[in-house]
Amino acid sequence: MTTAIAAPKCLVCDTEFEVQEDWEKGEITECAACGQEHEVVEKSATGARLDLAPEVEEDWGE
Amino acid sequence: MTTADQVLLSVTMLRPEEKLLLGALRAEGLTARPLLMEDLAEVVAGRTGGPPALAVIRNLSHRDAINVSRRLEYAGVTTLNRSSVIEACNDKGLQSLLFARHDIPHPVTRHAFSYDQVRSAVGELGMPAVVKPVSGSWGRGVTKMANAECVEAWAGGRESADATGKLFPVVVQAYVDKPGHDLRVVVVGRTPVVAIQRVSDDWRTNTHLGARVQRVEVTAEIDKLCQQVVDVLGPGFYGVDLVEDRAAGELLVLEVNANPEFAKSSATHGVDVAGLYAEFVAEQLSVTATV
Ligand SMILES: [Zn+2]
Repeated sequence: MTTAIAAPKCLVCDTEFEVQEDWEKGEITECAACGQEHEVVEKSATGARLDLAPEVEEDWGE
Repeated sequence: MTTADQVLLSVTMLRPEEKLLLGALRAEGLTARPLLMEDLAEVVAGRTGGPPALAVIRNLSHRDAINVSRRLEYAGVTTLNRSSVIEACNDKGLQSLLFARHDIPHPVTRHAFSYDQVRSAVGELGMPAVVKPVSGSWGRGVTKMANAECVEAWAGGRESADATGKLFPVVVQAYVDKPGHDLRVVVVGRTPVVAIQRVSDDWRTNTHLGARVQRVEVTAEIDKLCQQVVDVLGPGFYGVDLVEDRAAGELLVLEVNANPEFAKSSATHGVDVAGLYAEFVAEQLSVTATV
């Protein structure tokens, strides 16, 4: 059974995200209000589930 | 049978940078989709339909980049860049060995596997010298040894945190007296598509440390060095860091990055790096398809 996913809210400031049609799983998106980065972990036609974006790790980057 | 136009974009997460790449690949008419680490099991098990024609490796995590590229290659998928290239680019010691073997101008570099070898390498190369972890990014852990006290302070501090020397090897590199800036050249395929100068008051010139960027001309000398690098590593997607040795008046290849960032600097220099890269990927696919 699948549950419908609604429009997500910022995990820091509770501001509602506008769900973008072209969001992909794994995509990083910023909260328009507080700037906190979130990761799209699930996406459906009606909404998405977000989590806080991963922190920078030791072996990342150039 | 492979899915001839299917490209996987392997990512740790889909930053605006990778999203740009995804869009550019699709604009080339390719069926591109992101590949997250958690999806890899299904792909290598062949449970996602035919194997993809090609995978673009854009993982931020060096460990993930190696893991994904190796596993895909063993499953018969062509990767860009190749795992052996990613491996060499993620290890400053391996790079320096490759450069030395192929006469690519590079600062004199020694491996050190112990604190004593660091001391003797610094003694051999003269001070100042630079000590770098073989893997590491954004200038982390890079230390300039100005005098013997620096060496002892570095060794003492590190020995107390790593008495058994697990963090070796490191490389000890001759310090290059550069004129306050260095060059980053983005190479797509065999072509240096744009060169930017990074100007900084800090002796390390990473943009992450606040360096300013400006576009400069790709000179014959820059092009020649990039060709030498491509001859060794093969065509691919590289950020080639060059540094001017003021004393010798020549450019040296400091290091090559196999996962160059381009989104922020593209806004400054206006070169569509993502578009050029997608074109290169499409070309690679048409070559593979006709074989
Ligand atoms: Zn917020």
